[in-house]
Amino acid sequence: MATQTNTQTSLLPQGVGRLTTTWKLAMAGSFLLFAVGVFAFVRELSTGMIETGMRNVGTMGGASWGLYITMVVYFIGVSFAGITIAALIRLFNLRHLRPIARFAELLTVVALILGALAIIVDLGQPLRGVVNLFRYARPQSPFFGTFSLVIAGYLVASLIYLYLGGRRDAAIMAHYPSRLQRFHRWWAAGYRDTPEERDRHRQTSFWLAVTIIPLLVIAHSTLGFVFGLQVGRPGWYGTLQAPAFVALAGVSGIGAIIIVGAVVRRIVHDKSRIDLDVFAALGKFLLAFLLVYLYFMSVELLTLLYATPEVEKQLSDALLLGEYAWIYWGSVALLVIPGLGLLWQAFKRRWNVGWLVAFGIAVNLAAIGKRYLIVVPSQTHGTLLPYEVGSYSPSWVEYGVVLGLLGLGALMIGTFVKVFPPIPLREDEEVMVDA
Amino acid sequence: MRKTITLGMVVGGIVLMLIGYLAAAPWGADTVANSDPSFGFAPALFVLGVIVAFSAALVYELMPDRPER
Repeated sequence: MATQTNTQTSLLPQGVGRLTTTWKLAMAGSFLLFAVGVFAFVRELSTGMIETGMRNVGTMGGASWGLYITMVVYFIGVSFAGITIAALIRLFNLRHLRPIARFAELLTVVALILGALAIIVDLGQPLRGVVNLFRYARPQSPFFGTFSLVIAGYLVASLIYLYLGGRRDAAIMAHYPSRLQRFHRWWAAGYRDTPEERDRHRQTSFWLAVTIIPLLVIAHSTLGFVFGLQVGRPGWYGTLQAPAFVALAGVSGIGAIIIVGAVVRRIVHDKSRIDLDVFAALGKFLLAFLLVYLYFMSVELLTLLYATPEVEKQLSDALLLGEYAWIYWGSVALLVIPGLGLLWQAFKRRWNVGWLVAFGIAVNLAAIGKRYLIVVPSQTHGTLLPYEVGSYSPSWVEYGVVLGLLGLGALMIGTFVKVFPPIPLREDEEVMVDA
Repeated sequence: MRKTITLGMVVGGIVLMLIGYLAAAPWGADTVANSDPSFGFAPALFVLGVIVAFSAALVYELMPDRPER
Protein backbone atom coordinates (compact mmCIF):
# COMPACT_ATOMS: atom_id res chain seq x y z
CA MET A 1 0.00 0.00 0.00
CA ALA A 2 2.83 2.35 0.97
CA THR A 3 4.65 1.55 -2.27
CA GLN A 4 1.48 2.22 -4.23
CA THR A 5 0.96 5.61 -2.52
CA ASN A 6 4.60 6.54 -3.16
CA THR A 7 4.26 5.66 -6.84
CA GLN A 8 1.10 7.73 -7.05
CA THR A 9 2.75 10.64 -5.26
CA SER A 10 5.58 10.57 -7.80
CA LEU A 11 2.97 11.37 -10.46
CA LEU A 12 2.27 14.77 -8.95
CA PRO A 13 3.68 17.61 -11.06
CA GLN A 14 6.63 19.85 -10.09
CA GLY A 15 8.00 17.42 -7.50
CA VAL A 16 5.05 17.94 -5.16
CA GLY A 17 5.01 15.25 -2.46
CA ARG A 18 8.49 13.98 -3.32
CA LEU A 19 10.86 14.56 -0.42
CA THR A 20 14.37 14.48 -1.85
CA THR A 21 17.53 14.22 0.24
CA THR A 22 18.53 17.81 -0.66
CA TRP A 23 15.12 19.06 0.43
CA LYS A 24 15.30 17.13 3.71
CA LEU A 25 18.77 18.52 4.44
CA ALA A 26 17.62 22.07 3.64
CA MET A 27 14.58 21.67 5.89
CA ALA A 28 16.69 20.18 8.70
CA GLY A 29 19.04 23.20 8.47
CA SER A 30 16.08 25.59 8.48
CA PHE A 31 14.54 23.80 11.46
CA LEU A 32 17.82 24.08 13.33
CA LEU A 33 17.87 27.85 12.71
CA PHE A 34 14.25 28.07 13.83
CA ALA A 35 15.08 26.13 17.02
CA VAL A 36 17.95 28.54 17.74
CA GLY A 37 15.47 31.41 17.30
CA VAL A 38 12.93 29.84 19.68
CA PHE A 39 15.65 29.25 22.28
CA ALA A 40 16.87 32.85 22.00
CA PHE A 41 13.33 34.23 22.20
CA VAL A 42 12.48 32.11 25.27
CA ARG A 43 15.64 33.47 26.87
CA GLU A 44 14.60 37.05 26.03
CA LEU A 45 11.08 36.43 27.30
CA SER A 46 12.19 34.92 30.60
CA THR A 47 15.10 37.23 31.41
CA GLY A 48 13.80 40.40 29.79
CA MET A 49 14.93 42.86 27.13
CA ILE A 50 18.23 43.29 28.99
CA GLU A 51 19.30 40.20 26.99
CA THR A 52 19.26 42.32 23.85
CA GLY A 53 21.72 45.06 22.93
CA MET A 54 18.92 47.65 22.98
CA ARG A 55 18.97 50.38 25.61
CA ASN A 56 17.12 53.67 26.11
CA VAL A 57 18.01 56.50 23.77
CA GLY A 58 19.93 59.32 25.46
CA THR A 59 19.82 58.41 29.14
CA MET A 60 21.31 54.95 28.59
CA GLY A 61 23.25 55.93 25.48
CA GLY A 62 21.71 53.28 23.30
CA ALA A 63 19.03 52.58 20.72
CA SER A 64 15.58 51.28 21.65
CA TRP A 65 14.92 50.14 18.08
CA GLY A 66 17.59 47.83 16.76
CA LEU A 67 17.97 44.71 14.67
CA TYR A 68 14.35 43.59 15.15
CA ILE A 69 12.87 46.82 13.77
CA THR A 70 15.46 46.71 10.98
CA MET A 71 14.13 43.27 10.06
CA VAL A 72 10.49 44.41 10.38
CA VAL A 73 11.14 47.10 7.79
CA TYR A 74 13.15 44.69 5.64
CA PHE A 75 10.55 41.88 5.70
CA ILE A 76 7.67 44.22 4.97
CA GLY A 77 9.77 45.68 2.15
CA VAL A 78 10.30 42.21 0.68
CA SER A 79 6.55 41.60 0.80
CA PHE A 80 5.94 44.61 -1.45
CA ALA A 81 7.20 43.23 -4.73
CA GLY A 82 5.56 39.81 -4.58
CA ILE A 83 1.98 40.93 -4.41
CA THR A 84 2.66 43.97 -6.65
CA ILE A 85 3.98 41.76 -9.42
CA ALA A 86 1.16 39.23 -8.91
CA ALA A 87 -1.43 42.03 -9.06
CA LEU A 88 0.17 43.64 -12.14
CA ILE A 89 0.25 40.25 -13.91
CA ARG A 90 -3.50 39.86 -13.35
CA LEU A 91 -4.34 43.53 -13.98
CA PHE A 92 -2.45 43.92 -17.26
CA ASN A 93 -2.61 40.26 -18.28
CA LEU A 94 1.19 39.88 -18.41
CA ARG A 95 1.01 36.23 -19.47
CA HIS A 96 4.77 35.73 -19.83
CA LEU A 97 5.21 36.56 -16.12
CA ARG A 98 2.42 34.25 -14.98
CA PRO A 99 4.83 31.46 -13.89
CA ILE A 100 6.22 33.63 -11.08
CA ALA A 101 2.85 34.87 -9.79
CA ARG A 102 2.27 32.14 -7.22
CA PHE A 103 5.62 32.07 -5.48
CA ALA A 104 5.69 35.87 -5.61
CA GLU A 105 2.40 35.83 -3.66
CA LEU A 106 3.82 33.17 -1.35
CA LEU A 107 6.88 35.31 -0.71
CA THR A 108 4.59 38.21 0.21
CA VAL A 109 2.59 36.10 2.68
CA VAL A 110 5.71 34.61 4.29
CA ALA A 111 7.48 37.99 4.49
CA LEU A 112 4.42 39.62 6.10
CA ILE A 113 4.15 36.86 8.71
CA LEU A 114 7.86 37.24 9.48
CA GLY A 115 7.44 41.04 9.65
CA ALA A 116 4.59 40.68 12.16
CA LEU A 117 6.64 38.22 14.24
CA ALA A 118 9.64 40.56 14.16
CA ILE A 119 7.44 43.26 15.72
CA ILE A 120 6.23 40.85 18.40
CA VAL A 121 9.76 39.79 19.42
CA ASP A 122 10.67 43.46 19.78
CA LEU A 123 8.11 43.86 22.58
CA GLY A 124 9.07 43.21 26.16
CA GLN A 125 5.50 42.05 26.85
CA PRO A 126 4.31 40.71 23.48
CA LEU A 127 0.80 39.69 24.58
CA ARG A 128 0.16 43.02 26.30
CA GLY A 129 1.48 44.84 23.25
CA VAL A 130 -0.80 43.01 20.81
CA VAL A 131 -3.93 43.37 22.98
CA ASN A 132 -3.30 47.07 23.64
CA LEU A 133 -2.71 47.69 19.95
CA PHE A 134 -6.28 46.55 19.26
CA ARG A 135 -7.58 48.54 22.24
CA TYR A 136 -5.77 51.84 21.99
CA ALA A 137 -4.18 52.26 18.53
CA ARG A 138 -4.55 55.87 17.33
CA PRO A 139 -5.46 56.48 13.68
CA GLN A 140 -3.36 59.65 13.62
CA SER A 141 -0.25 57.55 14.24
CA PRO A 142 1.54 56.04 11.23
CA PHE A 143 1.75 52.81 13.24
CA PHE A 144 -2.04 52.49 12.92
CA GLY A 145 -1.77 52.42 9.13
CA THR A 146 1.18 50.07 9.24
CA PHE A 147 -0.41 47.52 11.52
CA SER A 148 -4.04 47.75 10.41
CA LEU A 149 -3.32 47.99 6.69
CA VAL A 150 -0.11 45.99 6.45
CA ILE A 151 -0.75 43.20 8.91
CA ALA A 152 -4.54 42.95 8.60
CA GLY A 153 -5.52 44.17 5.16
CA TYR A 154 -2.43 43.33 3.22
CA LEU A 155 -1.86 39.88 4.74
CA VAL A 156 -5.52 38.87 4.49
CA ALA A 157 -5.76 40.15 0.91
CA SER A 158 -2.57 38.31 -0.07
CA LEU A 159 -3.78 35.06 1.51
CA ILE A 160 -7.12 35.34 -0.28
CA TYR A 161 -5.33 36.12 -3.53
CA LEU A 162 -3.03 33.12 -3.11
CA TYR A 163 -5.92 30.82 -2.18
CA LEU A 164 -8.30 31.82 -4.97
CA GLY A 165 -5.53 31.87 -7.58
CA GLY A 166 -4.61 28.29 -6.66
CA ARG A 167 -8.08 26.72 -6.84
CA ARG A 168 -7.80 25.64 -10.46
CA ASP A 169 -4.45 23.93 -9.87
CA ALA A 170 -5.80 22.39 -6.67
CA ALA A 171 -8.65 20.89 -8.67
CA ILE A 172 -6.15 19.39 -11.13
CA MET A 173 -3.94 18.10 -8.31
CA ALA A 174 -6.97 16.59 -6.52
CA HIS A 175 -7.39 14.24 -9.46
CA TYR A 176 -4.08 12.52 -8.65
CA PRO A 177 -4.39 9.83 -5.97
CA SER A 178 -1.87 10.83 -3.29
CA ARG A 179 -1.53 11.53 0.41
CA LEU A 180 -2.23 15.18 -0.39
CA GLN A 181 -5.48 14.52 -2.23
CA ARG A 182 -7.74 15.59 0.65
CA PHE A 183 -5.79 18.80 1.06
CA HIS A 184 -6.03 19.56 -2.66
CA ARG A 185 -9.77 18.80 -2.63
CA TRP A 186 -10.20 21.19 0.29
CA TRP A 187 -8.28 23.92 -1.57
CA ALA A 188 -10.22 23.34 -4.81
CA ALA A 189 -13.50 23.69 -2.87
CA GLY A 190 -15.57 22.19 -5.65
CA TYR A 191 -13.91 24.09 -8.49
CA ARG A 192 -14.79 22.58 -11.89
CA ASP A 193 -13.23 25.12 -14.27
CA THR A 194 -16.52 26.02 -15.93
CA PRO A 195 -16.62 29.21 -18.07
CA GLU A 196 -18.70 30.86 -15.32
CA GLU A 197 -16.12 30.02 -12.66
CA ARG A 198 -13.28 31.29 -14.84
CA ASP A 199 -15.15 34.50 -15.51
CA ARG A 200 -15.92 34.95 -11.82
CA HIS A 201 -12.27 34.36 -10.92
CA ARG A 202 -11.17 36.90 -13.53
CA GLN A 203 -13.51 39.49 -12.00
CA THR A 204 -12.40 38.74 -8.43
CA SER A 205 -8.71 38.86 -9.38
CA PHE A 206 -9.21 42.17 -11.16
CA TRP A 207 -10.96 43.84 -8.23
CA LEU A 208 -8.53 42.39 -5.69
CA ALA A 209 -5.63 43.70 -7.80
CA VAL A 210 -7.29 47.11 -8.13
CA THR A 211 -7.69 47.40 -4.35
CA ILE A 212 -4.40 45.80 -3.36
CA ILE A 213 -2.10 48.08 -5.39
CA PRO A 214 -3.16 51.39 -3.76
CA LEU A 215 -3.41 49.62 -0.39
CA LEU A 216 0.17 48.46 -0.53
CA VAL A 217 1.48 51.87 -1.64
CA ILE A 218 -0.35 53.44 1.33
CA ALA A 219 0.84 50.70 3.68
CA HIS A 220 4.50 51.05 2.68
CA SER A 221 4.30 54.83 2.74
CA THR A 222 2.93 54.77 6.31
CA LEU A 223 5.89 52.62 7.29
CA GLY A 224 8.13 55.35 5.88
CA PHE A 225 6.09 57.94 7.79
CA VAL A 226 6.84 56.10 11.07
CA PHE A 227 10.33 57.57 10.62
CA GLY A 228 9.72 60.47 8.24
CA LEU A 229 7.21 62.30 10.47
CA GLN A 230 9.42 62.43 13.58
CA VAL A 231 10.40 66.10 13.67
CA GLY A 232 12.76 65.77 16.60
CA ARG A 233 14.94 63.07 15.13
CA PRO A 234 17.59 64.21 12.61
CA GLY A 235 18.06 61.69 9.83
CA TRP A 236 14.48 60.46 10.05
CA TYR A 237 12.45 63.61 9.44
CA GLY A 238 12.12 64.12 5.71
CA THR A 239 9.72 64.06 2.78
CA LEU A 240 11.65 61.38 0.92
CA GLN A 241 11.27 58.67 3.56
CA ALA A 242 7.94 57.31 2.26
CA PRO A 243 8.81 57.13 -1.48
CA ALA A 244 12.33 55.89 -0.69
CA PHE A 245 10.79 53.13 1.45
CA VAL A 246 8.61 52.05 -1.46
CA ALA A 247 11.55 52.15 -3.91
CA LEU A 248 13.86 50.11 -1.66
CA ALA A 249 10.98 47.72 -0.94
CA GLY A 250 10.76 47.16 -4.69
CA VAL A 251 14.52 46.56 -4.92
CA SER A 252 14.67 44.00 -2.09
CA GLY A 253 11.40 42.34 -3.05
CA ILE A 254 12.31 41.82 -6.71
CA GLY A 255 15.78 40.65 -5.67
CA ALA A 256 14.11 38.07 -3.39
CA ILE A 257 11.75 36.93 -6.17
CA ILE A 258 14.75 36.36 -8.47
CA ILE A 259 16.46 34.24 -5.78
CA VAL A 260 13.32 32.21 -4.97
CA GLY A 261 12.58 31.91 -8.72
CA ALA A 262 15.99 30.36 -9.35
CA VAL A 263 15.51 27.93 -6.44
CA VAL A 264 12.01 26.94 -7.62
CA ARG A 265 13.36 26.46 -11.14
CA ARG A 266 15.83 23.92 -9.74
CA ILE A 267 13.20 22.19 -7.60
CA VAL A 268 10.76 21.60 -10.46
CA HIS A 269 13.57 20.41 -12.80
CA ASP A 270 11.97 22.22 -15.74
CA LYS A 271 13.68 25.38 -16.94
CA SER A 272 11.00 25.97 -19.56
CA ARG A 273 8.49 26.71 -16.77
CA ILE A 274 10.41 29.86 -15.79
CA ASP A 275 12.39 30.75 -18.88
CA LEU A 276 15.07 33.38 -19.38
CA ASP A 277 12.49 35.96 -20.57
CA VAL A 278 10.93 35.91 -17.10
CA PHE A 279 14.30 36.55 -15.45
CA ALA A 280 15.02 39.28 -18.03
CA ALA A 281 11.75 41.00 -17.11
CA LEU A 282 12.59 40.72 -13.40
CA GLY A 283 16.07 42.11 -14.12
CA LYS A 284 14.54 45.13 -15.87
CA PHE A 285 12.11 45.71 -12.98
CA LEU A 286 15.01 45.47 -10.54
CA LEU A 287 17.09 47.91 -12.57
CA ALA A 288 14.23 50.43 -12.70
CA PHE A 289 13.62 50.32 -8.93
CA LEU A 290 17.37 50.41 -8.28
CA LEU A 291 17.89 53.55 -10.38
CA VAL A 292 14.96 55.29 -8.65
CA TYR A 293 16.30 54.34 -5.23
CA LEU A 294 19.87 55.42 -6.06
CA TYR A 295 18.46 58.79 -7.13
CA PHE A 296 16.56 59.14 -3.83
CA MET A 297 19.67 58.12 -1.92
CA SER A 298 21.82 60.74 -3.70
CA VAL A 299 19.26 63.48 -3.05
CA GLU A 300 19.03 62.47 0.61
CA LEU A 301 22.83 62.51 0.95
CA LEU A 302 23.15 65.89 -0.74
CA THR A 303 20.48 67.37 1.55
CA LEU A 304 22.23 65.93 4.60
CA LEU A 305 25.61 67.36 3.59
CA TYR A 306 24.48 70.78 2.34
CA ALA A 307 24.72 73.49 5.04
CA THR A 308 24.43 70.83 7.73
CA PRO A 309 23.28 71.85 11.24
CA GLU A 310 25.35 70.54 14.16
CA VAL A 311 23.45 67.34 15.02
CA GLU A 312 22.97 66.42 11.37
CA LYS A 313 26.73 66.92 10.90
CA GLN A 314 27.38 64.51 13.76
CA LEU A 315 25.02 62.01 12.15
CA SER A 316 26.43 62.37 8.63
CA ASP A 317 29.98 62.00 9.97
CA ALA A 318 29.00 58.77 11.75
CA LEU A 319 27.34 57.50 8.58
CA LEU A 320 29.98 58.48 6.05
CA LEU A 321 33.23 58.40 8.01
CA GLY A 322 32.52 56.99 11.47
CA GLU A 323 31.33 53.75 13.01
CA TYR A 324 28.55 53.17 10.48
CA ALA A 325 30.68 53.98 7.42
CA TRP A 326 31.43 50.33 6.59
CA ILE A 327 27.72 49.51 6.53
CA TYR A 328 26.91 52.67 4.55
CA TRP A 329 29.59 52.29 1.88
CA GLY A 330 29.17 48.51 1.83
CA SER A 331 25.45 48.96 1.12
CA VAL A 332 26.16 51.59 -1.53
CA ALA A 333 28.60 49.21 -3.24
CA LEU A 334 26.06 46.36 -3.05
CA LEU A 335 23.53 48.60 -4.79
CA VAL A 336 25.77 50.30 -7.35
CA ILE A 337 27.62 47.16 -8.57
CA PRO A 338 24.38 45.22 -9.28
CA GLY A 339 23.02 48.40 -10.91
CA LEU A 340 26.00 48.52 -13.28
CA GLY A 341 25.77 44.78 -13.89
CA LEU A 342 22.07 45.04 -14.73
CA LEU A 343 22.72 48.00 -17.03
CA TRP A 344 25.39 45.97 -18.82
CA GLN A 345 23.05 43.00 -19.26
CA ALA A 346 20.23 45.26 -20.45
CA PHE A 347 22.61 46.97 -22.91
CA LYS A 348 23.92 43.66 -24.26
CA ARG A 349 20.39 42.14 -24.14
CA ARG A 350 21.98 39.03 -22.65
CA TRP A 351 20.61 38.01 -19.28
CA ASN A 352 22.36 35.49 -17.07
CA VAL A 353 20.38 33.81 -14.27
CA GLY A 354 23.49 33.21 -12.14
CA TRP A 355 24.43 36.89 -12.20
CA LEU A 356 20.83 37.94 -11.56
CA VAL A 357 20.73 35.72 -8.46
CA ALA A 358 24.05 37.21 -7.29
CA PHE A 359 22.60 40.72 -7.81
CA GLY A 360 19.43 39.65 -5.97
CA ILE A 361 21.48 38.52 -2.96
CA ALA A 362 23.62 41.69 -3.10
CA VAL A 363 20.68 44.11 -3.16
CA ASN A 364 18.99 42.22 -0.30
CA LEU A 365 22.11 42.49 1.85
CA ALA A 366 22.27 46.18 0.90
CA ALA A 367 18.59 46.60 1.81
CA ILE A 368 19.20 45.12 5.29
CA GLY A 369 22.19 47.46 5.67
CA LYS A 370 20.20 50.50 4.56
CA ARG A 371 17.27 49.61 6.83
CA TYR A 372 19.71 49.29 9.72
CA LEU A 373 21.14 52.72 8.90
CA ILE A 374 17.67 54.23 8.82
CA VAL A 375 16.72 52.73 12.19
CA VAL A 376 19.83 52.90 14.38
CA PRO A 377 22.20 55.90 13.77
CA SER A 378 19.51 58.54 14.28
CA GLN A 379 19.00 57.17 17.80
CA THR A 380 22.66 56.91 18.76
CA HIS A 381 23.94 60.06 16.99
CA GLY A 382 20.80 62.11 16.37
CA THR A 383 19.50 63.27 19.74
CA LEU A 384 18.69 66.98 19.93
CA LEU A 385 18.99 66.91 23.72
CA PRO A 386 22.52 67.29 25.12
CA TYR A 387 23.25 63.58 25.60
CA GLU A 388 26.53 61.88 24.83
CA VAL A 389 26.78 59.98 21.56
CA GLY A 390 25.40 56.48 22.08
CA SER A 391 26.12 53.09 20.62
CA TYR A 392 24.30 49.89 19.75
CA SER A 393 25.38 46.42 18.81
CA PRO A 394 22.95 43.50 18.64
CA SER A 395 23.41 40.72 21.19
CA TRP A 396 23.54 36.99 20.34
CA VAL A 397 19.87 36.77 21.40
CA GLU A 398 18.87 39.23 18.66
CA TYR A 399 20.98 37.47 16.05
CA GLY A 400 19.52 34.15 17.20
CA VAL A 401 15.91 35.38 16.94
CA VAL A 402 16.53 36.85 13.47
CA LEU A 403 18.14 33.59 12.30
CA GLY A 404 15.12 31.79 13.72
CA LEU A 405 12.77 34.00 11.71
CA LEU A 406 14.76 33.34 8.52
CA GLY A 407 14.65 29.61 9.32
CA LEU A 408 10.89 29.79 9.83
CA GLY A 409 10.51 31.56 6.46
CA ALA A 410 12.55 28.85 4.74
CA LEU A 411 10.45 26.15 6.46
CA MET A 412 7.21 27.77 5.27
CA ILE A 413 8.39 28.15 1.66
CA GLY A 414 9.99 24.68 1.66
CA THR A 415 6.81 23.06 2.97
CA PHE A 416 4.60 24.90 0.49
CA VAL A 417 6.56 23.78 -2.58
CA LYS A 418 6.15 20.15 -1.49
CA VAL A 419 2.38 20.32 -1.01
CA PHE A 420 1.38 22.58 -3.91
CA PRO A 421 2.86 23.46 -7.31
CA PRO A 422 4.93 26.63 -6.87
CA ILE A 423 4.41 27.48 -10.55
CA PRO A 424 0.84 27.66 -11.91
CA LEU A 425 0.04 24.63 -14.06
CA ARG A 426 -0.28 25.25 -17.78
CA GLU A 427 -3.66 26.26 -19.12
CA ASP A 428 -3.81 23.21 -21.38
CA GLU A 429 -3.85 20.97 -18.31
CA GLU A 430 -7.50 20.18 -17.88
CA VAL A 431 -9.46 20.03 -14.66
CA MET A 432 -11.13 16.66 -14.17
CA VAL A 433 -14.77 17.20 -13.37
CA ASP A 434 -14.75 14.57 -10.61
CA ALA A 435 -12.11 16.52 -8.69
CA MET B 1 -27.88 36.36 -4.17
CA ARG B 2 -24.11 35.97 -4.54
CA LYS B 3 -23.69 39.58 -5.68
CA THR B 4 -25.96 40.86 -2.90
CA ILE B 5 -24.00 39.08 -0.16
CA THR B 6 -20.66 40.15 -1.68
CA LEU B 7 -21.76 43.77 -1.97
CA GLY B 8 -23.18 43.59 1.56
CA MET B 9 -19.85 42.38 2.89
CA VAL B 10 -17.90 45.11 1.07
CA VAL B 11 -20.28 47.83 2.30
CA GLY B 12 -20.44 46.28 5.79
CA GLY B 13 -16.65 46.13 5.91
CA ILE B 14 -16.34 49.78 4.91
CA VAL B 15 -18.95 50.77 7.52
CA LEU B 16 -17.03 48.83 10.21
CA MET B 17 -13.81 50.55 9.11
CA LEU B 18 -15.45 53.97 9.33
CA ILE B 19 -16.97 53.30 12.77
CA GLY B 20 -13.68 51.86 14.02
CA TYR B 21 -11.67 54.75 12.62
CA LEU B 22 -13.96 57.49 13.92
CA ALA B 23 -14.27 55.85 17.35
CA ALA B 24 -10.51 55.37 17.66
CA ALA B 25 -9.58 58.89 16.57
CA PRO B 26 -9.54 61.34 19.50
CA TRP B 27 -11.93 63.91 18.02
CA GLY B 28 -12.16 66.97 20.24
CA ALA B 29 -9.93 65.50 22.94
CA ASP B 30 -8.32 68.29 24.98
CA THR B 31 -5.88 66.09 26.92
CA VAL B 32 -4.00 62.89 26.27
CA ALA B 33 -5.96 61.22 29.08
CA ASN B 34 -9.23 61.94 27.22
CA SER B 35 -7.96 60.72 23.89
CA ASP B 36 -8.64 57.00 24.33
CA PRO B 37 -10.99 55.39 21.78
CA SER B 38 -14.70 56.06 22.43
CA PHE B 39 -15.22 52.39 23.19
CA GLY B 40 -12.92 49.46 23.89
CA PHE B 41 -11.27 47.75 20.94
CA ALA B 42 -12.44 50.35 18.39
CA PRO B 43 -9.18 49.89 16.40
CA ALA B 44 -9.93 46.14 16.28
CA LEU B 45 -13.25 47.04 14.62
CA PHE B 46 -11.32 48.85 11.88
CA VAL B 47 -9.14 45.77 11.32
CA LEU B 48 -12.26 43.56 11.31
CA GLY B 49 -13.78 45.85 8.65
CA VAL B 50 -10.72 45.43 6.44
CA ILE B 51 -10.89 41.64 6.83
CA VAL B 52 -14.66 41.50 6.13
CA ALA B 53 -14.32 43.68 2.99
CA PHE B 54 -11.56 41.51 1.52
CA SER B 55 -13.32 38.28 2.52
CA ALA B 56 -16.16 39.29 0.18
CA ALA B 57 -13.93 37.97 -2.63
CA LEU B 58 -14.04 34.50 -1.03
CA VAL B 59 -17.82 34.56 -0.87
CA TYR B 60 -18.10 35.73 -4.47
CA GLU B 61 -15.96 32.86 -5.74
CA LEU B 62 -16.88 30.06 -3.37
CA MET B 63 -20.62 30.46 -3.00
CA PRO B 64 -22.24 27.67 -5.04
CA ASP B 65 -24.44 28.52 -8.00
CA ARG B 66 -28.16 28.26 -7.54
CA PRO B 67 -29.20 24.79 -8.80
CA GLU B 68 -30.95 24.94 -12.20
CA ARG B 69 -34.68 24.12 -12.13
